[in-house]
Amino acid sequence: MNSNHLDQLKQEYMSTPIPRELDFVVRKALQKSRHKSPFDKIRIAAASIAAALALVTVGVNSSPVFAQALAEVPVVGSIVQVLTFRQFTVREDNFEADIKVPKIQGLENKDLESSLNEKYLAENKKLYEEFKAAMEEGKEKGGGHLGVGSGYEVVTDNDAIFTVKRYEFTVAGSSDTKIKYDTIDKKREILITLPSLFKDDSYVEVISDNIINQMKEQMASDENKVYWLDGYVEEFQQPFERISKDQGFYINADGKLVISFDKYEVAPGYMGVVEFVIPTEAISDILVGNEYIK
Amino acid sequence: MNKGNLEKQFADHIIKNKERYYRLAYSYVKNVDDALDIVQESIYKGMSSLPSLRNPAYFRTWFYKIVVHTALDFLRQKNKTVLVEEEVLINSDSGTCDTYQNIDLSRALDTLPAKYRTIIILRYFEDLKIEDVAEILDENVNTVKTRLYTALRKLRIEMVDDDEKGRICHE
Repeated sequence: MNSNHLDQLKQEYMSTPIPRELDFVVRKALQKSRHKSPFDKIRIAAASIAAALALVTVGVNSSPVFAQALAEVPVVGSIVQVLTFRQFTVREDNFEADIKVPKIQGLENKDLESSLNEKYLAENKKLYEEFKAAMEEGKEKGGGHLGVGSGYEVVTDNDAIFTVKRYEFTVAGSSDTKIKYDTIDKKREILITLPSLFKDDSYVEVISDNIINQMKEQMASDENKVYWLDGYVEEFQQPFERISKDQGFYINADGKLVISFDKYEVAPGYMGVVEFVIPTEAISDILVGNEYIK
Repeated sequence: MNKGNLEKQFADHIIKNKERYYRLAYSYVKNVDDALDIVQESIYKGMSSLPSLRNPAYFRTWFYKIVVHTALDFLRQKNKTVLVEEEVLINSDSGTCDTYQNIDLSRALDTLPAKYRTIIILRYFEDLKIEDVAEILDENVNTVKTRLYTALRKLRIEMVDDDEKGRICHE
């Protein structure tokens, strides 16, 4: 082959069409992974709520007066609800957005209610602004397509707890999905965090070990399932070793703890969002109580 | 070097070189959506293993490697038959005279098995050193050299010189 042919091949290769979405996909991926620091602000909030809950537990056990006082607090029942506060819709040629902002209503604890609602509004505003910026850039350069969407769903609503699931997805050629949960104790009107459910930090290890075993079992019985576990990943990749202290979770209708991972968090993209139900036996020794998890 | 600084350099490197990585991903899957997916997944993997990378000078080799592995994993899982394996290529070679109307150069590259094609891409199109190509593909330098020659030979078979007027004979 003469070098002329090689040059020609190179030119063809270099002229592989670059989709408009590439820049957005790259920036979004970089931003998401960069913000996934194991130590962030949520941790601090989680810790203080855990401390408050511990105080309540101690109070009930140690003081009859305190227990009495607590019993007289009227039970709110199931009037907590979530509705669509605002909806943004954009439909233009190749750009679509359908953003639903949820709003929690019916809590007596207005601080909690407004802090959740403010958080929902801020998250969705950010999504909308990112979409708008990408859309304007796409139009300017001509071409490209982008879709974003967000919404919510009530996962669990029983006498004790109320869980709202929020999802956010971006489609720009490839797609990405993020899922978040908020679980509210309806009687005490506090936000339940993962650390607050357990006596101490040992839950991170107990739950992680359980999940790793479940991953191994699934991989052994179904060759289409792949998780990034030690021994199964390339050297350049960090295997899944443990959940973060404030890993996404919810308590399902059967009262079981479910741990959730975003797309790409512990498995290749085609596995999507993955969830693991943690058997209650595995964690019963370290649970603060059996009020929520059964 | 502190963590934030390395992350910033990584992000800058990726943004600057995104098209290189995209093209390589595309050469495996021949599909825009899948190629974007591979780039995205590679960035997550890269970010998570960044602490193990000591020297930003190796960003390029290291990230090509991530993209190549992610693309191969992707193809394995999706069970796509975009790639023509070497055996198929040999079997379809009847060994007699074949007539070609007009040989498309890029098709010639596409019919090369991935392990040969990637070497051509990295060595000649991305101008990497043989040693770096070997590192990216987890092969030793001699294997890469041998494959490079094989790849060039295969390409010569696929391509017709202008003066042969679209007709090529081989044993």
